[in-house]
Amino acid sequence: MSTLTVGASVDRPVRRRSGAGRRRQSRETAVLVAPSVLLIVVLSVAPLLAGVALAFTDARLVHNPHYSFVGAANFTKLADNTMFWSSFRIGIVWAVSVTVLQLVAAMGLALLLNADLRLRGLARVLALVPWAMPPVVVSIMWRMIYSPNAGPLNAVLRAIGLPGDTNWLGSFTTALPAVIAVGVWVGMPQTTVTLLAGLQQVPVETYEAAAIDGAGAWRRFTAVTMPSLRPIVTSITSLNFIWNFNSFSLVYVLTEGGPGGKTMLPMLFTYIEAFQNRNIGYAAAMGVVLVVVVVALLGLYLWSQLRNEDKP
Amino acid sequence: MPLIAAAVAVVALAGCSSGGGSATATGSGTSSAAAAAPVTLTFQSLSDQPATIAATKKIVDSWNAANPDIQVNVVQASWDSVNDKLTTQFAGGTAPDIIHDDAASIVSFASDGYLADLTGQMSQAKKDDIGKGLLASVTVDGKVVAYPTEVQSYMVFANKTLLDQAGVTIPTGDSMTWDQFRQIAKATTKNGVAGVGWGLKSPVATFMTLGLGSGGTYFDGTGTKATIHVGDNELALPKLVHQMAYDDKSILPVTLTQSGSEALAAFYGGKVAMTVQGSYLAASMAKDAPSGFSWVVLPPLAGPQGAAQAADPQTLSVSADSKHAAQAVKFLEYFTSSDNLEAVNEADALIPATTSAQKAMATKLGSQNGWDQILKSGKDFQSAPFLFVNKYSQWKSTVATPAFQKYLANQIDDAGLTDALTNGWKQLG
Repeated sequence: MSTLTVGASVDRPVRRRSGAGRRRQSRETAVLVAPSVLLIVVLSVAPLLAGVALAFTDARLVHNPHYSFVGAANFTKLADNTMFWSSFRIGIVWAVSVTVLQLVAAMGLALLLNADLRLRGLARVLALVPWAMPPVVVSIMWRMIYSPNAGPLNAVLRAIGLPGDTNWLGSFTTALPAVIAVGVWVGMPQTTVTLLAGLQQVPVETYEAAAIDGAGAWRRFTAVTMPSLRPIVTSITSLNFIWNFNSFSLVYVLTEGGPGGKTMLPMLFTYIEAFQNRNIGYAAAMGVVLVVVVVALLGLYLWSQLRNEDKP
Repeated sequence: MPLIAAAVAVVALAGCSSGGGSATATGSGTSSAAAAAPVTLTFQSLSDQPATIAATKKIVDSWNAANPDIQVNVVQASWDSVNDKLTTQFAGGTAPDIIHDDAASIVSFASDGYLADLTGQMSQAKKDDIGKGLLASVTVDGKVVAYPTEVQSYMVFANKTLLDQAGVTIPTGDSMTWDQFRQIAKATTKNGVAGVGWGLKSPVATFMTLGLGSGGTYFDGTGTKATIHVGDNELALPKLVHQMAYDDKSILPVTLTQSGSEALAAFYGGKVAMTVQGSYLAASMAKDAPSGFSWVVLPPLAGPQGAAQAADPQTLSVSADSKHAAQAVKFLEYFTSSDNLEAVNEADALIPATTSAQKAMATKLGSQNGWDQILKSGKDFQSAPFLFVNKYSQWKSTVATPAFQKYLANQIDDAGLTDALTNGWKQLG
C-alpha cells in the first residue's frame, strides 16, 4: 500500500527528467522503503509462513526434534476432533456475543459521555479505567467478585433479597455468560473512545436541521447519528471480533476452560495442545483453521457492510 | 543499514539456538576437563510454603558454604505454571540445571529427551533407601531420571467438634473404609452443615490416586502402546462421590467446583465436618486454622482393595542440557540425605521418599498434627500405571478433566462418563 502511494507522488515531478534520473529515483524509493518492508518480512511474514509450514509437519516440542512433512494429515485428524469443533462453537458464541454487547453498551456510554453533563471529563477518565488494567489482573479481580461464598456479587444479591448462592464460574449454566460479561466489561473502553471520537465528528448543524424538521431524539439517532457512525461501527466491530475471538488470558485465568469444557475457547484449546501436550504441528494446524475461519467471517461481514454503504 | 545489520543479527541468533545441541556437547566435554573451576548450578525450586522455602535455603546455604567449587543458586518458580514454563525453557535452551517437578509431569519430559539419565550416577545406597514403588515412578524406559523427594497422599481432615456433636466416634486403626467415610459424612450432615467439602475442580489426580483403592488402574501397557479401560473398578470412586453428592447430599455442592484450598474455607468456617485434601495441608492447618478450631487427621482411606494410593512424588532431575550434570548429582545426593529430606518434608507435611527419612520423621514428630496418620498412608504407595502413558497429560487436560467435571455436575451418567473417557482417548489419535 505505502509503496504504491510513495511511487505515485514521486513520479509526477520526475516526468521531464532523463531515464537515468528516473532509475535513480526508483532506487532511492526502494532504499527508503526497504527498512520497513524488511521489518514486516522478518517480524510478520516469516513467522506467519513458518507457522503455516509447521501445520503440515508432525513437529513436537522435544529435545533434538526431527520434523517430517505429513501433508494434510493434521487437518484430516482435526476434522474428526469433536472436542476442537465444540470449542469452536463456544468460540463463535463468545466472540459474537461479546462483540455485539460491547457495541451496544459502548454506544450507550459514548452517547452519555458526549452529552453536556457535569463532571464529563472525570466520567470520561473513569470509563477508561478497565483499559489500563492487564487482563490477568482483571481476571483475578472478577474471580474474587464471582466467588460463590466470599464474593461481593453474591453478598449484594443476598442483601437485596435475591438468591445469593449462585456458583457463577462453577455452574454449567452461568459460566459462559459470566465470562462473557467480563469480556464485555474489559473491552468497552476502546469501543467507547472510538465511538465518542466519531460522535464528535458529526456536525452539530445536521442535528439542528433534523430538529427543525421535527425529528425526536430517537429519530435523530437513527437518521443522523447512525449513518454518520457507520464506517466507525464497521471498523471497530471487525477489530473487536478479531480480538475477542483470539482472546486467551482472560478466560485462561478465570476458568481454564472449565467447568466441563463450557468455556473452552478455541485459543485455549490450541494453547493446551501446543504447550501442555507439546504437539506444535497439530496446534499450528488448529491456528491455521482459526485464521481461515476468522478471515472468512470478517470478509462476509465487511462485504455486507460495504455493500450497504454503497447504496444511497 | 543498521536495520539490515539487525536483521543479520537476528538470523545469526536463530542459527545459534538451533545449533544449541552441538554447543552443549562441547560444553560438557570441557567441563569434565576443568572440573576444578568453580561452577554455578541453577536450581529451580517450586516450594511454596514459607517453612519449606526456609528449609530449602538452609540446605543450599550449608552446601554452598561447604563446597566453594559448586555453588547452587535457587530460583523460585510456581507449581501453577511450571509445565508450560519448562516447555518453553527447554525449547529455548534456558532450562535450569536442577529441575523440581512431579513424577507425572517429568515422565513425558524424559521420554522427549529433556532429562539427563541418572541411572549410573545415583548411589546404590540411595536407590536402596528409596521405596520400590517410588523408584519405579521415576524410571522411564529403564533409566532413572530423577530423585524422588516428597510424596503427597490424600487424607481426610475432620472438624473434631462437629464429629463429637454428631455422636460419631473418630475412627482409629490403620485405615478407614470408603463405607465408613460415607457413614460419617451422612451422620454429620445436619443443622446446615454438610458432611464433606471436597475440592474437585481438578478431579483427575484425586480419582487416579485414590482410585487404586478399588483397583482402578485405567491403563494397560506403557508408552505409546497404552490402552484405556474404564470398568467397575475405575468407576467405583467417582460413583461413591456422586452418590454422596446427589443421593446422600452429604457433600457441599459448591466445593465440587472449587480447588482444594478454596474448599478449605468452608472447613474452617464450620460449614463442613470433613474435607479431603493433600496431606501437605496439615502444615498450614497447624498455623492458619482459626483459634479454638479442633481438627484431626482420620486414618487413610481404603477402598475394597486396600489403602493403596498412586505414588506421584515430587522430584528433582537434571536437565539434559546441563553442562555440570556430575556436580548437580553430587548436590542432589546431599539434598536427599535423610536429615535434609526430613526437614523439607516436615515443613511441607509430606511423606519423605526415603525409608531412612521416614523413620527419622516418625521418631521426631510422633502423633502431633496427625503425623502418625499421614505416615501410615506412606506405606501403601504404588507406582501408578498412568505415569507411564505417553498421552496421559493430554488425556487428562482435554478429555478427563471436562468429563469428570460433567459427571460431578450431574450432566452425564455412569455410561456417559465411561463413553467420554474412552472415546476421548481414541480421539487423541
